[in-house]
Amino acid sequence: MSDLDKAIAQLRACRPIPENQVRELCYKARELLIEEGNVVSVDAPVTICGDIHGQFHDLMELFRVGGDVPDTNYLFMGDFVDRGFYSLESFLLLLCLKVRYPDRITLIRGNHESRQITTVYGFYDECLRKYGSANVWRYCCEVFDYLALGALVMGAATDLQPTDATFQDPNSQATALSEPDEIEIEILNSAGQIINRFPRNNYIGSQDLSQISNTPSSPSQSLEQTPSRNGAPGTGASSASRGSSNNTGSAVLCVHGGLSPLIDSIDKIRLLDRKQEVPHEGAMCDLLWSDPDEIDGWGLSPRGAGFLFGADIVKCFNHKNDLSLICRAHQLVMEGFKEMFDNSIVTVWSAPNYCYRCGNVAAILELGEDGSGAGYAPRTNGDVGRSQGGPLAERIEQRQGPGRRYRVFEAAPQDSRGMPAKKPVAEYFL
Amino acid sequence: MTTSAQAPKAMRLELLPPSTAHTFTTPSKRINDGNDLSFFLSSTAYRDLTVWILQLNRSMFPISKDGKDEICSLLSPPSSSSSITSVQSILKALTNLLEKAPPSTGPRRFGNVAFRDWFNLVEQDIESLVSTHLSSIFQIYVSDDHERSNELVNELRSYLIGSFGSPQRLDYGTGHELSFLAFLGCLWKLDFFQDGEERTIVSSLIQPYLILIRRLILTYTLEPAGSHGVWGLDDHSFAPYIFGSAQLGPAIDPEDWSKPVPTEGSHHSAPSPASVTKKDVVRDYEGSNMYFSAIQFIYDVKKGPFWEHSPVLYDISGLKDGWGKINKGMLKMYAAEVLGKFPVVQHFPFGSLFKWEADPDAVAQTGSVHAQQQPVSKDVPIPPPGGSGGVGVGVGTAAPWAKSSGGSTQAFATSLMPASTGIPSTRAPWAGSAGATTSMSPPGGVRRSAATTLGRNPEIPRPLERPR
Repeated sequence: MSDLDKAIAQLRACRPIPENQVRELCYKARELLIEEGNVVSVDAPVTICGDIHGQFHDLMELFRVGGDVPDTNYLFMGDFVDRGFYSLESFLLLLCLKVRYPDRITLIRGNHESRQITTVYGFYDECLRKYGSANVWRYCCEVFDYLALGALVMGAATDLQPTDATFQDPNSQATALSEPDEIEIEILNSAGQIINRFPRNNYIGSQDLSQISNTPSSPSQSLEQTPSRNGAPGTGASSASRGSSNNTGSAVLCVHGGLSPLIDSIDKIRLLDRKQEVPHEGAMCDLLWSDPDEIDGWGLSPRGAGFLFGADIVKCFNHKNDLSLICRAHQLVMEGFKEMFDNSIVTVWSAPNYCYRCGNVAAILELGEDGSGAGYAPRTNGDVGRSQGGPLAERIEQRQGPGRRYRVFEAAPQDSRGMPAKKPVAEYFL
Repeated sequence: MTTSAQAPKAMRLELLPPSTAHTFTTPSKRINDGNDLSFFLSSTAYRDLTVWILQLNRSMFPISKDGKDEICSLLSPPSSSSSITSVQSILKALTNLLEKAPPSTGPRRFGNVAFRDWFNLVEQDIESLVSTHLSSIFQIYVSDDHERSNELVNELRSYLIGSFGSPQRLDYGTGHELSFLAFLGCLWKLDFFQDGEERTIVSSLIQPYLILIRRLILTYTLEPAGSHGVWGLDDHSFAPYIFGSAQLGPAIDPEDWSKPVPTEGSHHSAPSPASVTKKDVVRDYEGSNMYFSAIQFIYDVKKGPFWEHSPVLYDISGLKDGWGKINKGMLKMYAAEVLGKFPVVQHFPFGSLFKWEADPDAVAQTGSVHAQQQPVSKDVPIPPPGGSGGVGVGVGTAAPWAKSSGGSTQAFATSLMPASTGIPSTRAPWAGSAGATTSMSPPGGVRRSAATTLGRNPEIPRPLERPR
């Protein structure tokens, strides 16, 4: 068993590794990450995860539900640390897995992967508490500076491969889809049973998916399970765009926060100098801090960093960059995930019962592999032939979204975690 | 009144002389960047806030009278004056509005948007509530001058309305709690309360306020504003830990204001600090004690082991020096983590009662490291915001350097760099000279040196006689 495998085993048991090993791990990770572009290319199939925030036991639950590394190819969209009790163990485990299986796990940067934020929101305190010095915090922060800012998932299938999963509610089986329908969205519970399923030509884009997801803890749940309104031609909600020349393997952009008024193409993200602390403003800051919102255009963010951006911004960006979907994290969602703006953007949240109290479920998003191998074809992801006349000059044709399988899960059972010794208190109490 | 011959008096918040000459002003936001925060820490508003909190804190300690100790229990609150019942009526009216704003069952991301309905109702009623229930103030300070009366309403309203969380962000935190303390401080300054009524103010106004807040948090799932997760003291509140620990401290002599409150030991009847981890003991004391009431709320809303979701409180429960020590620590922590934190106090408004003016007696500022991180105007081309203009759906995290929402686009990077908090953040009068370890402080340890700049003697002499 290599040292790395030993470290992985130790971290999986939620025990921190010694400081010298952290140092070595962080050094190796940096060497690896420095070779990655600002926007990492990831081939489907891939499982996309949102915020973790040091909820280690729930991260283990995530791996149980989504499959282990390296069997499952993972993409984590940042915010590994802060607020939770086990940021250190969570981040170091992910980092070990990255070094051990670099092609099977992708880590991109969240707004909490920053010196400033971690000194306010807990990770710094946690490192001091667990090591007695800030060295480990410093090593980790150096790694943060090398994390990619986004990822582009290529070759995701537009339809979901059928599974042999059963319905959670046996009665739903009767009303299940007739076979020929292409499944666009499938929602599974942590036992792998189908909670709900939506065929492509039947699912309506303008619906917030959170309204129809079927999670037990959902106070806002709508009973409407089978939307039947037909979408407008040319939207992802209709079948009108099917069969057009270019509809396989549409790309999915993954980023922690969202878009920036300074970024109109993915290539512009590639031009950023990312190897630094997250700035207070500018494109890099916005990618990690912005939020979608029901507004037109851009708005000020109440967070004090990044922007709010509306549906028009997303649709325009996706069109120009040949994207079918933007996948982001950054905001707590009661149902674990929330699709917005005619399914052009989705928020994925992977920290169940956030902060031990929020009562939310978590979700991960699986994108299947397109059999055509389109993921390996060179792509421009730029504006070739798409920006003529401006994207708004004519109706924006929305690319058909990838088939999306969401797995929702609840917090890991809080069984027998023994009570540790009390630590020395903060200076205020000395 | 204080002469050199007299022993220094413990600090009490000074009253505004009963005259109609005072100019009330609608409070406004002043803290826009790190320098403003430094100014705040040496302002009269800061002095008054700390004096007020200390004054309330002292009142909560048990007092020995005629050989017996009078403990402050929430179960047997001191009898209420008409002033207390007036403010209680306001809280009751606000609580009743909850029935008119039931939680929305529609789709939401997290926070319940019906909180905005409740808040709108509060906004509609608040002026009449203030002028009806606090009318005695108006008689003394503005008589029938309509314009000045409006200004006074605005000044009080501003702190009261700021006490209940953010309708935009659907969150609540210690900044809102501070606003309520300031509201009560305004009333004190305006001679609304009786002399010696501090204990009733805490147990019969602040505790009911906290109960209303807990109800709001549960009803509308308000996010913890800027919560530090498990690494903070509490997701939402701070005051109950200060006043609740004072309730359990050793008894003091109520007449001898020259003595600082005890900084170690417990009252003999107090439960051990270690008992916060025992759910049955917490149950026993939640009704009588503010600290245990707050702990009970944590047990009510959080799932998981206490040591894991509340490690700071867990560690504090291991202190051997009693509730007096915990109380002292809470005050120091409050100065650093609430009053000294830009994201928390940036929204605090300043008017004629909590004034944005330099305190001549404040200890000179140490140079602030974050002065290097001055605001730069944000030269990002922002397309004009659309019609709905950026009312954010609840946002869990604010950037530590966050500007106030709706502010100008500049002042964006007000940049309170936590890593270089050059702000003397423990400048409160209770900030001891402890040059202890920096175990929980940000790197740099600037806070430590700052902590020594003020208040070795927490009882600074000041002419504080009530002008009666």
